[in-house]
Amino acid sequence: MSVLSPAAAVSPAFDIRALTKVYQTDGGAVHALRGVDLQILEGETLVLLGPSGSGKSTLLNILGGLDRGTSGSARFHEFELTAASDRQLTEYRRASVGFIFQFFNLVPSLTARENVALITEVAHDPMSPEEALAQVGLAARMDHFPAQLSGGEQQRVAVARAIAKRPELLFCDEPTGSLDSESGVQVLQAITEVTRAAGATTMIVSHNSSIGEIADRVVRFRDGRIAGVARNPRKRAPSELSW
Amino acid sequence: MRPSPLDRKVLRDLWRMKWQALAIALLIACGVSVATMSFSAQRALAGAQARFYAETRFADAFAALTRAPLSIARELAAIDGVTAVDVRISESGLMDVPGLVRPATVRLISLPDDPSRALDRVRLAAGRMPDPGRTDEVVGLQSFLDAAQVRLGEKLTAVIRGRAATFIVVGAALSPEFVYVPAPESLMPDDAHQAVLWAPRPAVERAAGMTGAFDTAAVRIAPGASPKAVLQALDRILAPYGGRAAYLRSDQPSHRFLDAELKELSTSASILPPVFLLVAAALVHMVVSRLVETEREQIGLLKAFGYSDAAAASPYLRFALVVGLTGAVGGGLAGASLGAAIVDLYRQYFRFPMLEVRFHWSAFAAASAIAVAAAVAGSLLAVRRAVALSPAVAMQPPRPAAYCEGLLDRMVRGGGVDQATRMIVRQLERYPIRALLAAAGLAASLALLIGTQFLFDSIEAIIDQSYYRSQRWTEAVALQDPRDIAAVTDLARLPGVIAAEPTRIVSARFVNGAHEERTRIVGLAPAAVLDRPLDASDRPIPFEGDGIVLSEALAGRLGVRAGDSVFVEISDGRGPDALAHVTALARDYSGFSAYMERRALNRLMGEGDLVNGAQLLVRPDRRAAFYRAVERTPQIAGASSRDETVAAWRQAMTEAFRVTITFYVGFAGAIAFGVAYNVTRISLSERSRDLATLHVLGFGHWACAYILAGELVLLAIAAAPLGVVGGQLLAQGLVAAYSRDELRLPAEISLRSYGVALGAYLAAVGLGGVLVVRRVWGLDLVAVLKTRE
Repeated sequence: MSVLSPAAAVSPAFDIRALTKVYQTDGGAVHALRGVDLQILEGETLVLLGPSGSGKSTLLNILGGLDRGTSGSARFHEFELTAASDRQLTEYRRASVGFIFQFFNLVPSLTARENVALITEVAHDPMSPEEALAQVGLAARMDHFPAQLSGGEQQRVAVARAIAKRPELLFCDEPTGSLDSESGVQVLQAITEVTRAAGATTMIVSHNSSIGEIADRVVRFRDGRIAGVARNPRKRAPSELSW
Repeated sequence: MRPSPLDRKVLRDLWRMKWQALAIALLIACGVSVATMSFSAQRALAGAQARFYAETRFADAFAALTRAPLSIARELAAIDGVTAVDVRISESGLMDVPGLVRPATVRLISLPDDPSRALDRVRLAAGRMPDPGRTDEVVGLQSFLDAAQVRLGEKLTAVIRGRAATFIVVGAALSPEFVYVPAPESLMPDDAHQAVLWAPRPAVERAAGMTGAFDTAAVRIAPGASPKAVLQALDRILAPYGGRAAYLRSDQPSHRFLDAELKELSTSASILPPVFLLVAAALVHMVVSRLVETEREQIGLLKAFGYSDAAAASPYLRFALVVGLTGAVGGGLAGASLGAAIVDLYRQYFRFPMLEVRFHWSAFAAASAIAVAAAVAGSLLAVRRAVALSPAVAMQPPRPAAYCEGLLDRMVRGGGVDQATRMIVRQLERYPIRALLAAAGLAASLALLIGTQFLFDSIEAIIDQSYYRSQRWTEAVALQDPRDIAAVTDLARLPGVIAAEPTRIVSARFVNGAHEERTRIVGLAPAAVLDRPLDASDRPIPFEGDGIVLSEALAGRLGVRAGDSVFVEISDGRGPDALAHVTALARDYSGFSAYMERRALNRLMGEGDLVNGAQLLVRPDRRAAFYRAVERTPQIAGASSRDETVAAWRQAMTEAFRVTITFYVGFAGAIAFGVAYNVTRISLSERSRDLATLHVLGFGHWACAYILAGELVLLAIAAAPLGVVGGQLLAQGLVAAYSRDELRLPAEISLRSYGVALGAYLAAVGLGGVLVVRRVWGLDLVAVLKTRE
């Protein structure tokens, strides 16, 4: 069994074939993805590792519906992402995707509870903001504004915001990049606990190779290509990590 | 020389923020252009006036009388303080002008025997002066010849004192007495019906039967002499000859109107520019504040590298300087062309030999200096705070903006408000000063729109009150001399006349203590229906015995109230002096009126039941026949028509105000647009990250646009009541500024005006908002999310 095409018993969430992404810049064409083939299973946790500019974030952006591929195909079940309209992508993000960003991206004028409510108000079958915040351990800080929270707490609000709508997909772009080790571990713990409960397919982009140890599979990128995919024989809990 | 990095930063900032910078520069340009335009136009008018008056030796005082021998002129010249005297014959009559239905009123004036010593000389504009040896040649007032389309060489027949006289027009002339020619009834120009002809003395003597006599006098007064003493001496000497009260140049109709126009220009130069410059300064402050906020770290970095506070602040000050200078230059250019446009308009009303607009450099320089200072002051306030921080503090990334629940927030908490609306409300609460400044700017714009639209309503209200409710005649005629009441029977028999009411009108001087005013008393039939004074509630005022009804304006000028008595000097003929009891005050909007019951007025005059005019109701389809008959009736000296008067009013006022109002609407729109654009643009710069995040999280473009536009919508709504109140105040202010003795504008604002003003306001705000909000559709999601704010 190849690591690129997992067992047929579990259906793939994503089917990615020969996906490329070329940016036209003043200095000429930049090939961010040079032909990526990958299948991602439902409920799987993937960590994408690689140096800056290797293409991992580009892939995450395309799969998250923030950007479109130049050629090739990226399919979420029957939904072809590279051919979708802006409106379809917006609907896709709203219905299926939870995002966690490096810089938290909380709305500073809303409290923790309201930041989560922002999403639950437009979602199809969300949990309550209180429940989501309780899951990330912030039940006591719900009425604080972002400016009144630490970096780790802000990122956990972002996790609660991402999972409150019970997404099928959770995309995390450098979720611990702005945090110290201890806060980073807390955030990863929150992510793994809530995704395990919800069964969401999770992709985490990181520079930090030790984060790869919490994944089912680790995908390494170099120069816009997949340089290797490795299955973790034993997934570690975030509490076992340090960096 | 290579520009320094800081220079380049200023240039790039300007380029990046060019639309914001231009929107502010536009406001500054408005302020500078109004000042430049007004002062340039004022100087053009005042200069033309001064040159023309000097060239033609315009008199300082004037007197009219019935008839005096020419020898009396020597007595006038001997008055202490009089340096020159000019006596003339000036006779009025009617004249049929080909192409006009209603006959024109004509004034036939004698030319001086020795033009070099004359006052109020005419200046030839075309053709030639009449041959002194002939009695059938005249020069005509150019404005009349132009409006009535009378060509040189054409013959005109005037009926003067019941005698027809035919003249050949050999020249077109300008006169300092007739720079502006108000029609006697409306005070509006009616050039085609206001003929003035000048002929050599023998010709006028013959036409008027005034050989060896004169009936008007003009004098120049030595600098330093007492004008009041001169007037008293004139009155004393001319009294035996039917002298009517002498008056100064300030009461001369043409001069008076011109002077009022000059004052108006000063008013608009002093009211409007400060509004624009204040709003512009507030906008510079907002924009630079935001710029400084986003560049706090850069300022800290510069200071860490050893730049002084002043050097670190200089890019922002220079930014403001460039915006201010751009606005000033644009304002100067616009002011020059607006000045030329308004002087062009003046050429239609004011007849000068030369009316040239010259750019008022000092007004431009002063307005520009103030504008630039305002812009720099706005930015200085914003920069000061950032420069005061220590480099270490400035370089630290700012914590997320600290928000808290505010008063508004607590008000909406219970009501199921969605998070997007909450974001809007909190943004306003987070920057209250900015919200206040923006709301004040929007309110100023709406106030300007409402406060100027009302001018049209005002004119309509005046026309309605004067010509349809108070005066209800369609035509009025004036008789050459007072006649017995029986004369009205003849007038009633003229073709098309349905009803006729006699009038007796006499000139009078009212005195109450130190206050005095010259006007006329209108004597009406006891139960007149074609002309009746109305009170403040529009009810007709009945006459009580020998009492007099004064207009509110006249009473105000004299300082008398209903129930008081006022001293009346009749200045027609041998009119007596008397103390009259004021029984009521009438509300009207033009001139200074006084009314009495006709027989009471005649009793006061010590005469029988005489009339010198009539007000008539004439069938519209018989007007032409009516006027043909009027021309053949020798005792009629003047005729006016309501419809033509009203049309002249509408045309003159609409034309005059259209230019002004176009300026105001344009300027008010510029304010609303500038504020809306900048407020939304700043909001976008603060929010683009939030909005991109929301869009990533599944919010549609419209939902994001709602958050961005919501702030502007709330501000525009909050500013609206303020703008309405401000508009009402402005209307009252303009009423005070623009009202003249001859025209008092009522501060009435119609629903239609509110509608038009609100429509224009919303359009300008909407445009400013939409130009920014559409950028929501182009937000770069990936870039925004990858960078820390």
